[in-house]
Amino acid sequence: MTETVNNFQDWIKDQVHSKAESSFALSAELRKASLAVLNSARFPTRKDEEWRNTPLNELLTRTIGPASEAPVDLPLLEKLKQAIPNAQHLVFVNGVFDSKLSVDLATEIPAGLSVKQMSTLPSESLQRAEASINRSKLTDDNIFQHITRGLSNSGLFIELDQNIEIEQPLQILYLSSSNDSVSISHPLNIIHLGQNSRLKIVQQYASPAGVQAVTIPADTIQLDEGADLELYKIGLESESTDHISNTTVQIARSAVLKAHQYLLGSRLTRSNLEVIFDGPGGEAILRGIYLGDDSQHLDIRTYMDHANPQCRSDQHFRGIMNGQSRGVFNGMVLVRKHAQQTDAQQSNKNLLLSRDARVDTKPQLEIFADDVKCTHGATVGELDDDALFYLQSRGISQADAALMLTRAFSAEITEEIQLESLRDYIQNEITSRLDKIRVDHV
Amino acid sequence: MLSIKDLHVSVEEKPILNGLTLDVKPGEIHAIMGPNGSGKSTLAHVLSGRAGYTVNSGSAHYKGLNLLEMAPEIRAREGLFLAFQYPIEIPGVNNTSFLKKALNEIRKHRGEEELDAIDFLGLIKKQMALVEMKEDLLRRPVNQGFSGGEKKRNEILQMAVLNPTLAILDETDSGLDIDALRIVAGGVNKLRSESNAFVVITHYQRLLDYIVPDFVHVLSNGRIIKSGTKELALELEERGYDWLLEKTETPS
Ligand SMILES: Nc1ncnc2c1ncn2[C@@H]1O[C@H](COP(=O)(O)OP(=O)(O)OP(=O)(O)O)[C@@H](O)[C@H]1O
Ligand SMILES: [Mg+2]
Repeated sequence: MTETVNNFQDWIKDQVHSKAESSFALSAELRKASLAVLNSARFPTRKDEEWRNTPLNELLTRTIGPASEAPVDLPLLEKLKQAIPNAQHLVFVNGVFDSKLSVDLATEIPAGLSVKQMSTLPSESLQRAEASINRSKLTDDNIFQHITRGLSNSGLFIELDQNIEIEQPLQILYLSSSNDSVSISHPLNIIHLGQNSRLKIVQQYASPAGVQAVTIPADTIQLDEGADLELYKIGLESESTDHISNTTVQIARSAVLKAHQYLLGSRLTRSNLEVIFDGPGGEAILRGIYLGDDSQHLDIRTYMDHANPQCRSDQHFRGIMNGQSRGVFNGMVLVRKHAQQTDAQQSNKNLLLSRDARVDTKPQLEIFADDVKCTHGATVGELDDDALFYLQSRGISQADAALMLTRAFSAEITEEIQLESLRDYIQNEITSRLDKIRVDHV
Repeated sequence: MLSIKDLHVSVEEKPILNGLTLDVKPGEIHAIMGPNGSGKSTLAHVLSGRAGYTVNSGSAHYKGLNLLEMAPEIRAREGLFLAFQYPIEIPGVNNTSFLKKALNEIRKHRGEEELDAIDFLGLIKKQMALVEMKEDLLRRPVNQGFSGGEKKRNEILQMAVLNPTLAILDETDSGLDIDALRIVAGGVNKLRSESNAFVVITHYQRLLDYIVPDFVHVLSNGRIIKSGTKELALELEERGYDWLLEKTETPS
């Protein structure tokens, strides 16, 4: 038998054993554990339940090149910034924080908020940052998380003092560039909101068409008692980008997370979002859209750990798939034994615009408490013929009617975006993609 | 304006219209009555171009155009309008922007300039007053959560804004309270002119007190079995359909 060439894996091994001098996001101690996992690593296959619907073979056979020297697409960066013109902009290029393209962390960050590069943290701050990671129970224990933890050389530690409310959003932009080879990035952020504080963060991942890239970001987020975080993730990467992200959020007593995801780009995206209710009365509102065309694979995984009573989780995700694209929604709600009076809603609706598009949806509930209110539902369907005819009967062409109905389907999610300029931006991005789909079909 | 000749239509192999003939001239109002399931809505749907109907024989011409060969949106742009018996709810599509888009498609087709937001708002405000519709319904998704009567008023509002040449009202009066009935009828009468025509499908003679028809037809088993004037409706109200049905053979 011949051994399968596994370039990505070889590259990981090389990195684990690399003696090259470089700085890392996490401490040697914390990295050690992840490097050990990577050293004996076996990448998941379709036989692993957790990855059954996620095709990794193409990613695993990609050859990662040296760090890209290709210039950043500045016009693209400017365009992305328009999503929230009044934001504080923080820019990563190929996974490395770029202080020249970002606001000045020393002078421009408002009082009470601190944004620091992980690799330059004094040891006392690093310990504080890593405390969040140590508390994370990491139920979705996957190798990609360890790639970021073990190998990441860049990231931000964002801390907000208690009782501080920041209106101006933080917009974190991740751009990839590449020449002939595949560039990789694995930024690692730790975000900690103090008691009763409030923050809005928008994370945008993008690359110009044609860029070959692998993006493996990880965020660990801790919300202290009564804190409130609005978090948006927007995927606009090139058709040659594979993106696997891990976000873990710990929600203390009465803290609130609103997390939106809009997956519109990339060849493959797998987005893992894990929420752990660390205290009673917490709330997590998750919204998202995955919009795929051609042979894109867009995959959302959520894991709600109701480990405490009186918490509320409310998930609503919608998929729109065209071409031969494939969407996956896999949502798990775990209600532990003492998590009484849990309120957990989970809804996933999908619209197939072509014959060859496909969706796998799997909302799951595991309930060990007896006094709970849990619902879940999933649908996969096509455009409603009666609604199409109604619009046509008023003079609207079939193509326009289909566009209106599809946009309406997505608008029921995007209308919940509270930042007005971001809402317009996302709705426009969705519309321009739907417009293209329509043109393709005519 | 509308000329239907010996129209035979089936749905999933089941014959519904069995040789229907009808002529409508500009300025006329035709009422169509008939028992449940006789094919009234089917006729309205076939004329407006809904999919799922097979025309086996016969013809339907509108303004000299072969109606049955036209896409539904082209029929609408040519001035045909159907007020649905059961208006569809369309979540996520705003009532105002939907109607603005529809009107501008029709205007474009006629070679007229598209209306901008301000001009459109002016027009729609005026027409809303005509049907006495609550303004907040404009900001809601099309028909979503509208009461039965509100949906019917919304149909008439659309008709008033789109100003069709030929309007088919399919039981627009069903489910309306007496005030709403008067308002809807008032809307029709306001729009009525020498150059347009209405086909009003109804079960109730009382609508015809408000919208006075030039002709009344009885549809049964997919055919018009009797035509007359306003008095026929009164007679039907009194005697029902049985006396008519007995006299006609049902086609096999
Ligand atoms: N899609 C369909 N499949 C099968 N039968 C159908 C379909 N659409 C209509 N029909 C049948 O065709 C017949 C005529 O229906 P239609 O809706 O035209 O009646 P109508 O005269 O409008 O009745 P009503 O007064 O109750 O509104 C009915 O028997 C109905 O069941
Ligand atoms: Mg009917």
